[in-house]
Formats: sequence, structure tokens, C-alpha cells
Amino acid sequence: MPTIEGTAVRHVVVACEAGMGSSVLLTNQLASRLKGYGVEVTHSPVNRLTDDTGDVVLCHVGLVDRARQAAPNTVVMGFNMFMGDPAFDTLEAAIRDGASLDV
Amino acid sequence: MSATMAGPAAAGGWRARVQKFGGNLAAMVMPNIGAFIAWGLLTALFIPTGWIPNEGLATMVGPIITMLLPVLIAYTGGRLVHDQRGAVIGAFATMGVIAGSEIPQFLGAMVMGPLAAWVLKEFDKVVLPKIRSGFEMLTNNFSLGIIGIVMAIAGYYAIGPVVTAITEALGNGVDVLVTNSLLPLVSILVEPAKVLFLNNAINHGVFGPIGVVEAEELGKSIMFMIETNPGPGLGILIAFWLAGPRNVRPSVPGAAIIHFLGGIHEIYFPYVLMKPRLILAAIAGGATGVATFMVTGAGLVATPSPGSIFAWLAVMPRGGFVGPLLGILLSTIVSAVVGTLLLKMERTEEATDTDLAEAKAQSAANKGTKPQTAGA
Repeated sequence: MPTIEGTAVRHVVVACEAGMGSSVLLTNQLASRLKGYGVEVTHSPVNRLTDDTGDVVLCHVGLVDRARQAAPNTVVMGFNMFMGDPAFDTLEAAIRDGASLDV
Repeated sequence: MSATMAGPAAAGGWRARVQKFGGNLAAMVMPNIGAFIAWGLLTALFIPTGWIPNEGLATMVGPIITMLLPVLIAYTGGRLVHDQRGAVIGAFATMGVIAGSEIPQFLGAMVMGPLAAWVLKEFDKVVLPKIRSGFEMLTNNFSLGIIGIVMAIAGYYAIGPVVTAITEALGNGVDVLVTNSLLPLVSILVEPAKVLFLNNAINHGVFGPIGVVEAEELGKSIMFMIETNPGPGLGILIAFWLAGPRNVRPSVPGAAIIHFLGGIHEIYFPYVLMKPRLILAAIAGGATGVATFMVTGAGLVATPSPGSIFAWLAVMPRGGFVGPLLGILLSTIVSAVVGTLLLKMERTEEATDTDLAEAKAQSAANKGTKPQTAGA
């Protein structure tokens, strides 16, 4: 089970099916939330993820399996809602307070 | 967090595979949608029945749909498999498929692009390490050239005819559904599949290729309208806004704007997954839309992608605005009404929905902690 300390997160990748639609939407939302912590947010198609793509991968729970297959050693966080999902708060809190993420 | 993931993970073996396959199809098409839109606009404007007919400019329409767009798909598909070399051989080999058939070879390109790239990749894997230093470029160029022409010939004689037969069979199947007025039934499959994030696979992998064949012949196709109709999703969101759980209602208007104007349908899927019985509302709305499109003889000239109302307006044929807009409107209304009824029924049925209570507690906890820590 991959683990990462919130303080070690420098690069968050939002993955979606094509890497062009919903992930871009979220990337912009998260980028503005995480800018203050010096964290970069980018987007990618889930099929093109690798362990080098980023420190933490965010994707919809329906795509989590595939994200794990593509990046087995990276923390993959699933979310349910594209707006206001608790996962985003968890991530931001972990980055801010240095809690560890292990999903 | 791990609890929320157990569900999809347990049920997701086949789904992940289908999604992955569909994702690869979509990944070949979606980066090229801009070119599709340009072709759609060109068609809508300059063909003899268009807004400003222009014989000269209209000559672009044919070569773009039969050659450029399939080659772009093959190029992108090849690149996914084997980077630039894969892209080049995929595009080249697909010319064999294109020359060997009469119809726009979208499916052929989706097969040949990655296939040719894969053959070259395997060849490179075996041969490249054995090349004497200084001969890499020579080998690379000639291996691509020779394998490329072999694949193009194979495409001309084998893949082109097979894919043409498949595309025609699919098209005939659709014709049977249309002539027997059964087409609205496809919503029973399409709407649930969409919500499982197979939306791009269905639209770009199935309906798109059938649609372009039809659009090339008739100037428009109903195939472009089935998955991309933003009506059912908008109806679902309206239902949630009127009768959904109170804690999710505030997020709905924003989601509706992103869905209907921005065309990102993914935004409404979680609402359906939260209350799975709402899939009935989506199906009812979708079927209503398809029925309306069918009865009014509606069609679009190209894939509206993303499925936004603006993309729809851009690819409506001249004089063909009523059917599509009526279909969107009716599917929105039906899905909103059915969805609202289902949500109200559920609320009276189960005063305390455990899942919801849990979800509420969880999000309340998250929301509760956030301002506290932020304040501290």
C-alpha cells in the first residue's frame, strides 16, 4: 500500500478517461486551492498514468482500479463528486498539516 | 476512504477492462475533435444545402472525412502505442485501409493505427539492440518504411473489407431499429453505460463511426445525438435541485452549468451513482429524446463534443434546429419529472436512509473540521 506524507506532496495529478474534460475542470479548481502550498496540479488520461506522473493521483472512484494498475506505487485517492467532495478537503488538510495519505 | 473504494473495486474487474478498451478508443478520437468540429462547420456552411453554399470550398469536405480524419485517428492511436514512430506507421498503414473501401474508415483507423504501431514496436524491441552502432537511423527508416507498406497492403486487402462489412452491418442494424421505431430502446443500454463512465467509449467508439458514414451520405445523422444529448443529465440535476438530499442541493446549480453549457457530462454521473434508481429517469429522458429526434427526422452534421448545448448548436444542419432543440427540451422535462418523483418516493419510503446518513455525517465531519483547523 503506497503512502506519502502530506508535506512531501509537490505534484498532484487529476486523472480522467480522456484527460481532457472533467480532469481539466478539477485541475483548475484544485490548482487555485493548492497554489499557496507550492503544489503543482496537472491532468492526465488514466491510461497514460505512470508512477512518475505525480506524487498523488486523484480520480473518480470508478476509475481508481485503472489508476492503481497504471501507477501501482503511487497514492491514488478516489472521489465521488466533482464538486465539493470530502477527498479534496482531506488532501488539502494533509498537505497543510503534514498528515500521511495512504490510499 | 477505503470503504468508498471497496464497492467499485470489487465490482470493477470487467468494468475496468471495458472502460480501458473504451478509453483507448476515446483517446484516439478525442484529441482530434477540434478537426471534427472544423469539418462539421465546413459542411454546415458550404455544402449545396448549407448556409452559404460554395462549390469550391465544399470540395474539402470529402477528402477531410474520408482521409484526413481517419489518418488523424490512426496517427494518434499509433502514438499511444509507440510514440512518434508508431504515429507515423499507423497513419501510413491506414492509407491502405482507406484506399480499400468506400466509406469513412474510422473503425479501420482505430484498428490499424495501434496495430501497425504495435508490430513496429515488437520489431524494434527485437531488432534495435542488435543494430551495429551507426546504422540505427538507416534501420529505423527502412524498418518503418517496409513494415509500413506491408501493413498498408494488409489493410487494403484484409482490414478494409472486414471493417467495411462490420460498419455496414452496424449501420444496417441501426436502420432496422429506426424503421421499426425501436431506436429509443438503445437508451436502456446507453444511459446506464454512460453513468459507468463508458460515455466516451460509446460515443466515439460506436455511435461516432456509424454516424460519420450516415452523415457523409445524408448530410446528418441521429447517431451523434444519442449519447451527447445533455437533456437527460440536466433533468437529473434539476430533480436533485428540487428533491435531492439537502446536503447536495447547493452543488447542483454549478454542476448544471458545467454539464449543460460546458458539456462535461461526467459531472452528473455521481449524482446518479448516489441514487442508482435515478437511472430510470435518465433512461426515460434519453428514450424521449431519441424518440423525438426520430419522429422529427433530426440529425447533426458531426459529433457535438463535448456534449454542450453550444456544441449542439454549432453542428445543427441548416433548417434542422427544431427537432434537436425539442428533443433536448422534452428529454430534460421527462428526466426531471421522473427523477423528482423517484427522489420524493424514496424519501417517504425510507425516512432514514443509512447510506445517506453516513455520507452526510462524513461530509459534515469533513466540513466541520475544515473551518476549525483553518480558524486555529
